[in-house]
Amino acid sequence: MRAPLIGKYAVRTLGRNVRRTFLSVVGIGVGVAIAVFMTAFMKGSTQMRVRAIAQSGFGHVMVAHSDWDVSRDNDLRLADWRAELKAVRAFDGVKVATPHARTTALLAFGTRVAGVEMLGVDPKSEVASSRLPLAVTEGRYLESGDSDVAVVGSTIVDRLDVELDDDLLVTVVDADGEMEYAMLRIVGIIDTGSKDMDGSICHVMLQDVERLTKLPGAGEISVTLDEPLKMDSIVPRLKEVVSPSDDVLTWMQVVPAQGGDYQSDKGFMNMLSGTVIIVVILGIAGAQLTAILERRREFAVLIALGMRSSQVVRLILFEAVALAVLGAALGLLLAWWPVHYTSTAGFNFSSVLGEELSMSGVLLEPIIYSVPGPWVFGHAFIIALVSTLIAAVYPAIYALRTDPTSALSLREA
Amino acid sequence: MEARSDSVLVNARDVKKEFRVGKIVVNALRGLDLTIYEGDFLAIVGPSGSGKTTLLNLIGALDTATGGVVEVFGNDLSRMGKRQRAELRLRSLGFVFQAYNLVPVLTARENVEFVLELQGEDGARRATATGTLSDLGLGELEDRRPNEMSGGQQQRVAVARAVASKPRLVLADEPTANLDSENGEMLLKMMRRLRDEHDMTFVFSTHDPLVVSYATRVVTLRDGKIVSDERKNSGEPAANAEGIADARN
Repeated sequence: MRAPLIGKYAVRTLGRNVRRTFLSVVGIGVGVAIAVFMTAFMKGSTQMRVRAIAQSGFGHVMVAHSDWDVSRDNDLRLADWRAELKAVRAFDGVKVATPHARTTALLAFGTRVAGVEMLGVDPKSEVASSRLPLAVTEGRYLESGDSDVAVVGSTIVDRLDVELDDDLLVTVVDADGEMEYAMLRIVGIIDTGSKDMDGSICHVMLQDVERLTKLPGAGEISVTLDEPLKMDSIVPRLKEVVSPSDDVLTWMQVVPAQGGDYQSDKGFMNMLSGTVIIVVILGIAGAQLTAILERRREFAVLIALGMRSSQVVRLILFEAVALAVLGAALGLLLAWWPVHYTSTAGFNFSSVLGEELSMSGVLLEPIIYSVPGPWVFGHAFIIALVSTLIAAVYPAIYALRTDPTSALSLREA
Repeated sequence: MEARSDSVLVNARDVKKEFRVGKIVVNALRGLDLTIYEGDFLAIVGPSGSGKTTLLNLIGALDTATGGVVEVFGNDLSRMGKRQRAELRLRSLGFVFQAYNLVPVLTARENVEFVLELQGEDGARRATATGTLSDLGLGELEDRRPNEMSGGQQQRVAVARAVASKPRLVLADEPTANLDSENGEMLLKMMRRLRDEHDMTFVFSTHDPLVVSYATRVVTLRDGKIVSDERKNSGEPAANAEGIADARN
């Protein structure tokens, strides 16, 4: 079987008007490069966001009481947290699982007070799960066996005018509505670089929260996954191993503000890429249409010779595919440097965000790194192919309308 | 008579063709009757605007009549859809145009091959194309693109393209108009040979006396009607063909 001549015909046609072909390829290439860069950057941004959320203590997914998603009530507790923690940790694809119990507390030192959301933790798994223990700048983080101790953020330290080893008076309302008091010694101070974030950190032992609130057990299990991108397939299976009264929530449900930001960022990027691609499509369609107009006689002759409509369309689509291949290759070339640069040096947002790198209790990273990979090749070719094929539709319809009698009417060579 | 058989290829009866140019109706053909037989080497002549090209368009299934019947190989073209007419052109008709109209990015062989590919021929198409070019003495041109050939060479390749699939009827629109007399005569001799050796029928629309001299039948049109339909006794080119060729120059 011989290779179809129609392919050779299409490829050679690109050489007829080199300048137009060059400009079309550049147009496709620029569009592809922008789309590839934006996608690589968006992937990096998403990965940073998901990593930041997980390392800020929320995990990629969270096991919580099924009412928690609506009520956000810190008094809700898991049905059987030890059994659920064990089952979740044994689940394939789970990297770390750590229990939490939260309660609202008033910290006091002398005449100064500060309201916080106190987080009861299991130090061993917390260290493996969260980056906050790594941000201890004075003293140490919590350790197994500790009791009546706390690690607090630097902003709280400033506000209360305390220092390491000072004893804080903690006031909590227990499950019966009674005030409970305790003295907690400061064993560590965390400084994340974000004043907002450091004004809300107060980590204590899980048992201390159980004791003060008179609510036994953990209220949530934060789960870090080996592959966060597989979250959507893991969540339904994870739900099967937790108690029926409990639920497994994704990070977008746990931190809805971040989920909203993620969706709007993604929407904006898609809109921007879409706009660029539409402009490219219109440009190529114009160039293709001009090319078809210039070849009206040729199409008239081909149709007169008996070329079927499907064969005319095939010829024009072949030409579009040839343009797409060249455009995609150029697009990859153009995208290489910006993607490579932002994947190695990253893009530093600290000049935009200043020192405030926390949002909704999530400690964001100041540098976003693009995430290239083999996917860029498929991405580039699909974008180029879809754009050029869409752009070829109207010129193809126009070519089909060519009157074959004009083959005999157009007499000049 | 020069017609080589009584087999009718084209039967046109009371054919009318109107064109609308704005609000004006132009009657290009006004009730024309014509029968074309297998083996005819027919020249349609007449002044500009007499309806030659319109008639060729109708016989070639490129257009449809506004009145009357045009039957090609027994098929009433008015009853055929666009796709069926395209199929008829592809399988049974050959076209030669005044301006050669070869695909500029394909070589001579590829131009011939391309039509065979459109017909669905796969494995043998290269051999058929090469064979056709060789038969017509164009073997040395097969790898040349149109811009590397003279007008005469291009037109002969266009004939090769038209006849490669051995169509029964070849329609040629002013095939010699852009050629000098030497090339024009070479082309006509080639077509005559094809007609003689492969039982092909040729219909020309022409102003060229040289074509008329080679024709076995001459139909003259005026104002959309046939005013004369003459057959020649000789199967050979007119005795004065050479003189005509000289006169063209």
